[in-house]
Amino acid sequence: MKPAPFDYFAPTTLEEALGLLKQYGSDARVIAGGQSLVPMLALRLARPEVIVDLNRVAALAGIAEDGESLRIGAMTRQARALASPLVHEKLPLLRHGLENVGHPPTRARGTLGGSIAHADPAAETPMVMLAYRATMVLAGGAGERAVPADEFTLGTFDTCIAEGEILKEIVVEVRPDEGTGFFELSRRRGDFAMASAAARMRLDAAGTCIEAHLMIGAVAPVPLRCDAVAEALVGAIPTEVRIREAVRLIDLDAFEFDNPEISLAYRRHIAPVLARRALMQAASRAGDLRQ
Amino acid sequence: MTIGKPVVRVEDERFLRGEGRFTADYTLPFMVEAHIFRSPYGHARIAAINLDAALALKGVHAIVTGADLPEGLAPIQCRIPTHGDLSPYLQYPLARDKVRYVGEPIAVIVADTRAVAEDAAELIEIDFDPLPAVTDPARAIEPGAEPIHESGNLAGRWGFDLGDVPGALSEAAFIASDSFSIQRHSAMPMETRGLLASYDAGRNLLDIYGPTKVVHTNRNMLAAMLGMGEAEIRMIEPDVGGSFGARGEFYPEDYLIPFVAMRVRRPVRWIEDRVEHFAAINHSRDCAFHVTVAANRDGIITAFDVKLVTDMGSYIRTHGDVVPSHAAASFPGPYRVRNYRIDAMTVMTNKTPTGTYRAPGMFEANFARERAIDRLADKMGIDRAELRRRNLIQPEEMPWYVGTESVKRPTIFDSGNFPLIMDRALKAYGWDAPFEREVNGWKRGRGLCALVEPSGLGPFEGVRIEVDQHGKVQIFSGSSNQGQGHETILAQIASEVLTVPMEKIRVRHGDTGIITFGGGTYASRTAIMGGNAVHSASVGVRQKALDAASRKFGIAVEDLDLREGAIWHGHRNEPVVTLGGIARMLMPGNQEILVSPSAGNIPDNDGLVVTSYVRGVTAGAAVFAVHMADVLVDPETGETKVERYFVACDVGRQLNPLIVEGQIVGGVVQGLGGTFLEELAYNEDGQLTTGTFADYLMPNVYDVPPITALVFEESPALTNVLGVKGVGEVGPSGVGATIGNAIANALATDTGLNKLPLTPERILQSTGFGGLQ
Repeated sequence: MKPAPFDYFAPTTLEEALGLLKQYGSDARVIAGGQSLVPMLALRLARPEVIVDLNRVAALAGIAEDGESLRIGAMTRQARALASPLVHEKLPLLRHGLENVGHPPTRARGTLGGSIAHADPAAETPMVMLAYRATMVLAGGAGERAVPADEFTLGTFDTCIAEGEILKEIVVEVRPDEGTGFFELSRRRGDFAMASAAARMRLDAAGTCIEAHLMIGAVAPVPLRCDAVAEALVGAIPTEVRIREAVRLIDLDAFEFDNPEISLAYRRHIAPVLARRALMQAASRAGDLRQ
Repeated sequence: MTIGKPVVRVEDERFLRGEGRFTADYTLPFMVEAHIFRSPYGHARIAAINLDAALALKGVHAIVTGADLPEGLAPIQCRIPTHGDLSPYLQYPLARDKVRYVGEPIAVIVADTRAVAEDAAELIEIDFDPLPAVTDPARAIEPGAEPIHESGNLAGRWGFDLGDVPGALSEAAFIASDSFSIQRHSAMPMETRGLLASYDAGRNLLDIYGPTKVVHTNRNMLAAMLGMGEAEIRMIEPDVGGSFGARGEFYPEDYLIPFVAMRVRRPVRWIEDRVEHFAAINHSRDCAFHVTVAANRDGIITAFDVKLVTDMGSYIRTHGDVVPSHAAASFPGPYRVRNYRIDAMTVMTNKTPTGTYRAPGMFEANFARERAIDRLADKMGIDRAELRRRNLIQPEEMPWYVGTESVKRPTIFDSGNFPLIMDRALKAYGWDAPFEREVNGWKRGRGLCALVEPSGLGPFEGVRIEVDQHGKVQIFSGSSNQGQGHETILAQIASEVLTVPMEKIRVRHGDTGIITFGGGTYASRTAIMGGNAVHSASVGVRQKALDAASRKFGIAVEDLDLREGAIWHGHRNEPVVTLGGIARMLMPGNQEILVSPSAGNIPDNDGLVVTSYVRGVTAGAAVFAVHMADVLVDPETGETKVERYFVACDVGRQLNPLIVEGQIVGGVVQGLGGTFLEELAYNEDGQLTTGTFADYLMPNVYDVPPITALVFEESPALTNVLGVKGVGEVGPSGVGATIGNAIANALATDTGLNKLPLTPERILQSTGFGGLQ
């Protein structure tokens, strides 16, 4: 469990980091919190020639308000985000997602951007960003480009980050009038989910749903957007009965993951349960906001 | 009085300060490091090995393969008796022509650093001819299955047939019958294995740091394999971060690391990494039972009829077939059932070889028996505790001869009042108290398990006690300490007998250089065997001191008395002499006792030193325990939450209640891991698919429920002076059974929950979730 030899660089500015990526091309990999890459290096499953360590690039970390949005630096530690009053107040779904990410020691090192760029299908943060319809800002030699979350994750461990690019920050639009819900089930607390669900919901003064979002994670290479469920709820009072009916519209055929310990049938069974609970929670919190 | 007091462990301070010294903390001048190249195949022939590129890498000192092993080297021997001849299945330290499991050592690379050695490993070229991997024991014994060894895949078939099982079955009023399986899992000590071997070629002396558990046995095995004198090898146990039965057995590396150190003439260190550990350490459990239990109309269990298939993995190691052997010998548990039959098969597969893991055979048998008894109670419509109570062995029937044997020793329960402990346990837990069956949509269930755990096995143990002229006491023990707290309890016993405070007593252990013979630490034996050896030697020291004082001061021994670490005469205000003073008197060079050579040597000129070896008792000491738990189950997802866990047991006599409680609580947590999470799973190619902690899940701190230990000292062991019974394994032993029974109770299901681990998916399957959604 010793990594294959590699060269190591620890730039302090984004420009310097991008320069190194340009110089070494496909031989280089960036390292953020190292919670996934370090084990992969130790197992020699990843064997880059060059490692560009972003931990000293101070400008990549931090959470800031920008009008109606929050801008979250890619190197922001999960623990920092979880403790952030801004996140608590404005992005409750991110907070609920982060509570399910690993453990205090892993969250102290792990970064938001690292998890999103790693694109594990069962990871919480990428799904939360999909639920938020967040925007990923990528920096590259030719400047920056903004990519919607929907177009960012392409598959298991696969994103649209091109060679020479670094995920710089995530921009999330804040909706103060919505309720959110997050549920996941894992074999052991803090582990990757067997299935997970994230929901957002807005209600009008009468308690009618005027906007809903539902994501199901850990069942396919990319978290599933369940628009049919959301559409079925818009215009309705989100009672438990309505939500139970709506989650039947989850496209179970889109589920792919099937392994001996966690079968496809089991995932198809629990995902609607988790979705229902997440939607109920979102509806209840949205209801609380109206009072 | 020190025995029985909650003395804080003397080991804790150094561990908490980070001052423990583990194998990886040891370095020696000119030391190099080893890495084991292991088979990537579950089953394959080795056609050719090319080391040229690897040997050419800078920093590589040597690479040893099977071809380099001495001609005529014997395989690693089994250290305990087995059912039948298992010698065709023993393992050589390195594979030669064929590999039989993923992780089997093929070569040892010695290099400046571990990292360089791993780089070199990637340059080793081996032509493998893959063979079909055999991973299912049922298929392994079908005709036409690929043979793993020339002797075939069925290594052994044996059993017991007591009383009249067919008769009892034909007359039974109630019968419950089902299959139960316990998955392959094993010990995951926080510290992996490690060895540092240093060879002094000029003097032919070999020192090895890192062995533990049975260092004298291992030293003797290595001496035989290397053709060295036993005393020319010294095995030294450093601090050890856990064994749980797995660490400290004689593994291939225990030959290979000394062997390469002798070859390269430099100290060689090997630290097992976690990925190696998963594939290299003895795996365990992996049993499938079919159980039929019969009862008459009065709820008296009349027969157990059992079939047992155990997946032994690819080789037989030092433990032989002890796991199925213990399971078979103890299957009837605490019940007075005389009609008992078991048909046991031990089967070879292309998986890591197996050995013992805390409560070997017992965790397994208890799960199968106690789940079956719950099924029976449900069929009969009587309370599950009541059914057990009616069938417990009665105190007047002690000692109870089960009629079976394991490792050629009869299974005997020496003492115990099982019904009394059971009643008190049920009362303390509130078994009969009604409880809410549903909480926020989750179902609550309650389960129990009764069991007998053997302890204190093995032939002997020894210590030497030395008192120095300052009155400090050193105990040199033949047993080992892997974190259990033996340095504390052994000191407590000496402190009690010698009336010396704990601070003046040091316990050293696990070192073949400090005592000639040692039994070791396994089978919950150190409190019993090591403890009684300390007691015996302490009594010897006391007698020797009293005799010496009597001679020196002309006072009759009966008028002398040992108190506060000194010899006192009646009720006088001043002691006659301290123990340190006696030690000084008895030093060989002391002028006072030296006489002219012509007078010959006087007997007591060898210091205040006593060596004592105590003999083991055939069947050790049996601990009766009752486990109970309340579990919540989410019927929609199969998620569970253990609300509380309770263990009541009769340990005869507690040496240290803190350590007893710690053993039980820690053991329960390990049992919960085996019940819910841990599995060493293989795919059809013989690849271990749960070979990292990302896939092999252990309980973490968030998953640990409140655990209560209720410890009784009702029936002291009759087989040792201290009256103690071993408490190391009662914790895990009943967890699978108790939790399975509680979940079945919660879901009111009489199917399923017979296959560990109890994953959420399997829990839902027990209620037939397949048709839902």
